[in-house]
This record gives sequence, structure tokens and C-alpha cells, in this order.
Amino acid sequence: MSLGKILLVVVGVLAVLAVIVGLSVSGIYNRLVTLQQNTDGAWAQVQNVYQRRADLVPNLVNTVAGSANFEKSTLTEITAARASVGRVQLPASGAPTDPAKFAEFEQAQAQLGGALSRLLVVSERYPNLTATAGFRDLQAQLEGTENRIAVERGRFNEAVQAYNTALKRFPAVIFAGMFGHSPRPYFASTAGSDKPPTVQFDFGTKTVPAHP
Amino acid sequence: MRWLHGLLVFAALACVAWAAETIPPAPPNHFNDYAHVVSAGTAGQLNDELDQFERATSNQILVAIYPHMTSDSSVEDYTVRVAQAWGVGQKGKKNGAVLFIFSEDRKLFIQVGYGLERVLPDAVCKRIVEDEITPRFRAGDFTGGVEAGVHAMLAAARGEYQGTGSTAADLGRNFSGHPGLMIGLFILFIVISSLFRRRRGVISYGRGGMITYGLFGGGGGSSSNRSSGGGTFSGGGGSFGGGGAGGSW
Repeated sequence: MSLGKILLVVVGVLAVLAVIVGLSVSGIYNRLVTLQQNTDGAWAQVQNVYQRRADLVPNLVNTVAGSANFEKSTLTEITAARASVGRVQLPASGAPTDPAKFAEFEQAQAQLGGALSRLLVVSERYPNLTATAGFRDLQAQLEGTENRIAVERGRFNEAVQAYNTALKRFPAVIFAGMFGHSPRPYFASTAGSDKPPTVQFDFGTKTVPAHP
Repeated sequence: MRWLHGLLVFAALACVAWAAETIPPAPPNHFNDYAHVVSAGTAGQLNDELDQFERATSNQILVAIYPHMTSDSSVEDYTVRVAQAWGVGQKGKKNGAVLFIFSEDRKLFIQVGYGLERVLPDAVCKRIVEDEITPRFRAGDFTGGVEAGVHAMLAAARGEYQGTGSTAADLGRNFSGHPGLMIGLFILFIVISSLFRRRRGVISYGRGGMITYGLFGGGGGSSSNRSSGGGTFSGGGGSFGGGGAGGSW
């Protein structure tokens, strides 16, 4: 074989290799984009359900405040927590990429969740209030919203885990960063963090967190 | 023999890990009483009503009564996964709802799909549970409680969607029973779509959806435990986000 022919074969093989690499890279790229879109969609649902809870607060506070001499401290705590949730600034579209911002969001929401569950516990001491249809409905809505939050948080975590895993696998890990893909933070799933803390008034025993 | 021992230990461990939660298979009917607490006559009648309801409104409302939950989790957390796995409700409308009752655990939960949250909001579900169902259960009247609960759910969900006159299970039987019909429909679809060239995208979407849906329904309709041969329920592909309410008695 002449030198020219060998060169031709080498060039041909390289061209075929380039095509194969190009195809596989574009396949992986598309997969990453799909997974990223999934996390954005799941995040939108998470925000939806948290917003739903925040929207319940004014109604709840009004209903409870109408009840004679209801503890003011519980209500101010809720109003403050609701306000701090509103102050957390997150990017307008897509799931957050900044872990610090994400933690801030999660903490503010946990605070509001805790304050709301304390309100429900305290309200048990006001039979006149809990007997009203308005309060019963609000309580059911609040419980349902907490369920929805748990569900959407779980689905968001699944979506983010799928995305983060795909990013860290070879060969995606080599070029994912070049296309602007980076791992995303997800909700801590430590025991009890997905549920507001249960408050017990039995001071003899220690408070046991609700275990899913 | 050592390896056999190891294998057995491993299998036992796997079973324990798996036993933490088991999602039961999709039930064959609209009304499924695995705990045998509702009288047979009422069960059959409620199944007919729920089957008719799907024909009239396309809403899939299911009742599933088990003796025990097969999960260590909470009832609201477990039942949302079960309802989601069964795909109760039609795919686009997500209009499913399931009344779960665990008779020995004395717990119940109404899971509401995304598409029925407007007509079956949490507060309404809570009222159905606390005013219609649990007082009767406490008095030992399971049949009456389930009947009152189902009727309250049907009354609330009526009017939200229009039905097609058939159920997802019907479509499954028709399509899998007559392959010729499917081919005929496919040819019809090609003819229609070429006639209405401008609206092709719309039509092809609708027909394609119906054919895949029919095939899916065929799988679900094959198992049955009740007398109504073939079963009445087949999941349409709906989804759930944790809406609804529950209680205990």
C-alpha cells in the first residue's frame, strides 16, 4: 500500500469516529436537557403547592383572630414566617442552582410549616373555634396542602437525583459543564424534615418527630 | 452448602426490605372489597354505579377496601403512590379519585387526582369522611358508610367532565378482542387525515391516543375476581398530587 492510501484510510477512520462521537455527544446532550426540563417542571409544582399554603395564611389568621382572646404570639409568628417566605428571592424560571439560596428557601418554608402546625395544636384549646365549619375546612385544606407539599417535594427530589446522576456519569461528566449543566440542590430528606414537627404537651416524655 | 445458606439469608433480607412497602396490583373493578366487609348486593350495585359514572362523565372513581395497609408509611403518603401506580383517571384530564379503606387498621383516605381537585377539594373530602363515613363505621355499619361515602363523592364530582359512553376497560376489550377493528380504525384515520389535510395534527393526535389507550386497557381487563366477567376497571393513566382527606375511626 502506498503512503497516500494509508493516509486515506486513516482519515476515513477518523471521520467515522468523529461522526460516532458527535452522535453520542448529541444524544447525551439531549438526555441532559430532558432531565433538566423535568427538574424545572417538578420545581414549578413544588412552588405551586408552597404558594397554595402561603395563600391559606391570611384566611386562617382572620378566622382564628376572630375567636375571642386567641393567643397573639402564635398569630404574629405565622405572619412573620409568611413574610419571610415572601422575601426569599429565587430565579424566576427553572429550579434553583445555588445551594445557599435553596437552603434559605427551605428554611423559610420549614419555619412557616412549623408555625402553622403549632397554630393547629394551640387551636385545640379553643373548642368554640374548632367547632366552626370555617375552621374545619381550613384545617382540612392545610392538611391537604401539607400532603401535596410532601408529594411534590418527593417528586422534585427524584427528578433532581436523576439529573445529577446523569451529569456525574461518564462520559457526560467530561463535557456537561461546557454546556452549562451543573448539579442541582435538592430537599434534605432527613427524618421529619418533610413534615412539620409534631408538638406534644406531655412534658413527661420527649417529643418524637413524626417518622415517615 | 455455604453458598446456599448465604443465598437464603440474602433472599430473606431482600424480602424484609421489600416488605416495607408493597404497592398492590391494580384492581379489576371499580368497587373492590378485599376485606369482605360490605354486603355482596351493595358491592355489586355500587360497582355498577361507578362503572356507569365513568361512562357518563369519564371520571374514574374507585373504591378499594383492604384489611391492612402494606406499608410502614402514613396512610396519605402510601395511598398517593398506590393511586398513582394504578393510573386512575383519564390521561389528559387526570380525573380519578380513590376511596381507600383499611378495615383492620381503621384508617381511610380519599385520594383525589389533579383533575378532580376543583370539585373534590380537601374540605369536601374531609366532610365526606367525617360526616358520612366514619360515624357509620363507628356504629359498625360498613355497608352504609361506604355507600354514603361513594354517593357523596359522585354527587360532588358530577358535571365536571363529559363522558364518552364507554370506559377505559371497554376500549381495552374492544380493541384487543377485534384486531380487525383496530386496523379498520387505523385505515379510517389515514383516510380522514388525508381528507382534512389542514387539520392533520389535531386528528392524528386524537386517534393515536385512543389506539394506545385501548391496548393499555386490554392488559388490565384480563384479571378478575368478581362475577362481572372481565372486570370493569382499567386505569386510564391519570395522576395524583396528594389532594384529598382521610381519617380514622
